[in-house]
Amino acid sequence: MVDLSQYLPILIFLAIALAMSAAFVFLPMGVSRLTGTHNPTANKLTEYECGFPAFEDSRSQFDVRFYLVAILFIIFDLEAAFLFPWAVSLDLTGWAGWVTMMIFLFELIIGFAYAWKTGALEWE
Amino acid sequence: MIGIEHYLVVSAVLFVLGVLGIFLNRKNIIVILMAIELILLSVNINLVAFSAFLGDLTGQIFAMFVLTVAAGEAAIGLAILVIYFRQRGTIAVDDVNRMKG
Amino acid sequence: MDYANSLYLTGPEVFLSVSGLILTLIAAWGGQKAARLSTILAVGALVGASIITAAFLINPAFEQGGDAFGGLYRMDAFGSVSKLLIYLAGIGCLIVTPRFFDKGLEYRPEYPLLVVFASVGMGMMVSATDLMTLYIGLELSSLSSYVLASFTRSDDRSAEAGLKYFVLGALASGILLYGMSLVYGFSGSTSYLAIRPAFEGTLGTGALFGVIFVLAGLAFKISAVPFHMWTPDVYEGAPTPVTTFFSTAPKVAAIAMTARITLDAFGNQADAWRQVIIFAALASVVVGALGAIGQSNIKRLLAYSSINNVGFILIGLATGTAAGASAMLVYLAIYVAMSLGSFVAVLMLRDKDGNQVENMADIAGLSRAKPMIALCLAAMMLSLAGIPPLYGFWGKFVVFQAAVEADMVVLAAIGIAASVIGAFYYLKIVKIMYFDEPANVVTGKNDLAHWTVLAVTAIFVSPLGYLLTIPMGALADRAAAALFAVV
Repeated sequence: MVDLSQYLPILIFLAIALAMSAAFVFLPMGVSRLTGTHNPTANKLTEYECGFPAFEDSRSQFDVRFYLVAILFIIFDLEAAFLFPWAVSLDLTGWAGWVTMMIFLFELIIGFAYAWKTGALEWE
Repeated sequence: MIGIEHYLVVSAVLFVLGVLGIFLNRKNIIVILMAIELILLSVNINLVAFSAFLGDLTGQIFAMFVLTVAAGEAAIGLAILVIYFRQRGTIAVDDVNRMKG
Repeated sequence: MDYANSLYLTGPEVFLSVSGLILTLIAAWGGQKAARLSTILAVGALVGASIITAAFLINPAFEQGGDAFGGLYRMDAFGSVSKLLIYLAGIGCLIVTPRFFDKGLEYRPEYPLLVVFASVGMGMMVSATDLMTLYIGLELSSLSSYVLASFTRSDDRSAEAGLKYFVLGALASGILLYGMSLVYGFSGSTSYLAIRPAFEGTLGTGALFGVIFVLAGLAFKISAVPFHMWTPDVYEGAPTPVTTFFSTAPKVAAIAMTARITLDAFGNQADAWRQVIIFAALASVVVGALGAIGQSNIKRLLAYSSINNVGFILIGLATGTAAGASAMLVYLAIYVAMSLGSFVAVLMLRDKDGNQVENMADIAGLSRAKPMIALCLAAMMLSLAGIPPLYGFWGKFVVFQAAVEADMVVLAAIGIAASVIGAFYYLKIVKIMYFDEPANVVTGKNDLAHWTVLAVTAIFVSPLGYLLTIPMGALADRAAAALFAVV
């Protein structure tokens, strides 16, 4: 028989997590009912308050502007992947590593400034 | 026990699927973009598996670069696709035939 | 690690990158009005990078070249000569561009910016001595090229060319990368210097697959047969200045990168890769010569011509000797001039409304309407055909000489036979221009920039070019020796 007692810490951890998340979800709901800010509208009841509905025919067409946002997001998001290995090895790479990353981020900012200035971030 | 060869087989299967996805796909160019991503991810499996097997970090760093470049590639692919769509109003593979030769 | 030294050795790339970033900001704030300024600055940046490279080449402290950033990158005579060719080709292409877009097509400051970034990537490609550096450089130049190919957004052929180039280019990168991952796994390193001793003796199946996949990916990038199918479509569909660029600078970079990876990293496996390169060389020479017959679009014809020329260049590489590598570089230099000249001549063919003329039938009797363009184009064609007084002959001659010296007589013989077939369609263009009834379609005017580039390249391929034979040969020999000195 496997000794389950060694898993007690994780059980406690999960119980706390469950309790906390339940509190985070239900407490505001209860409070809003009691205080009178409970005022559902059609937009509030959708899964996301912006974008297009999540549950409908996946073949429907959607605005090409979403692509632009996705394109910009994926680039800037993945560049952040370099930050993690850099951060954990900074004690080994020292000042040279720090300066290099700052140069990299500066270049990224120039790219961001370009995207901003050319209006790629504007929705209309 | 899972050995290095299992990873290589998985990666080879994904790679072949990706290449076939480009050549056999007759429907949609988006599917081609996905096939390209599949190829790059199969390479990443290879790199990380070799890196772990050899006890050498280079492979993982390489995989990181591949990931970011793949993101850039996907972005540019989508951008070109959008231009193409605005011109032609379709992204069916069979319609990419303005030039023949 | 000595950072000052590393930065000095990567000087041209650092300089171009900083210029590229400044151009990005100019493009963002200046908008379309800044297009001309941006072009001038980009040409200046490329000139600056050429000067840095040339200064390195004559720096006695680095006669043997030097490694930067712990062996990720190597600057030597081979890299410098290739870079000079790339930058000069880039300058030539940029000078002739703005005029092309005058006719209602949108010219934007992003164009020179992309050319600069592509040049950074190509510089990294030819200097890379590590698979990672190689991959990053390759992608930087490829991604810029995809955008350039689809630059004229109002032309559906351009969008289609961009799409085809992107899909096949990404596939090629994937194949190359898969090969790299196998090479890394079976050699234990991504550095050329470490791969070389690891790949000694008989190769295992996995490592062999790695080498072959890498070669296949590279063949895609240099558009060698059997991976050439994207070339005619992309060359035809892309805007002509972009085609001019594609047929010159990236070719140099891809071939130089192939030479370095085969001769350095796979140097101990010459028998394995030479078979592949010989096959690709022969197939390119033959397919390029036969495919061009019957083409009615000039750009398409020149695409096949470039495939044909890649075959000749690969013959030089296939010898696997220093003499062969030197011959390859000489041919490459002459090819760049010929290709630049012929595409600029095509660029100058405009009808009375200023539209580009690309049809073979429309250049009939060009010698009467535009005698100078016809003369220069004829010189380019005859030079591409390898007819003796012109300089193109010298390129073919050194390549065949290297092949014969390396006991590859059959290869040289097939190459000569194919160049005779190739001469047929080059001569056909000359015949159409000089002896057919004038079609009187080409009547548009041209500006000084076009004439300058055309004149320089025409003088280079003319018999006057032979004056450069000795210095160019010495430089090519030194570059080839640098390639073999690393071992």
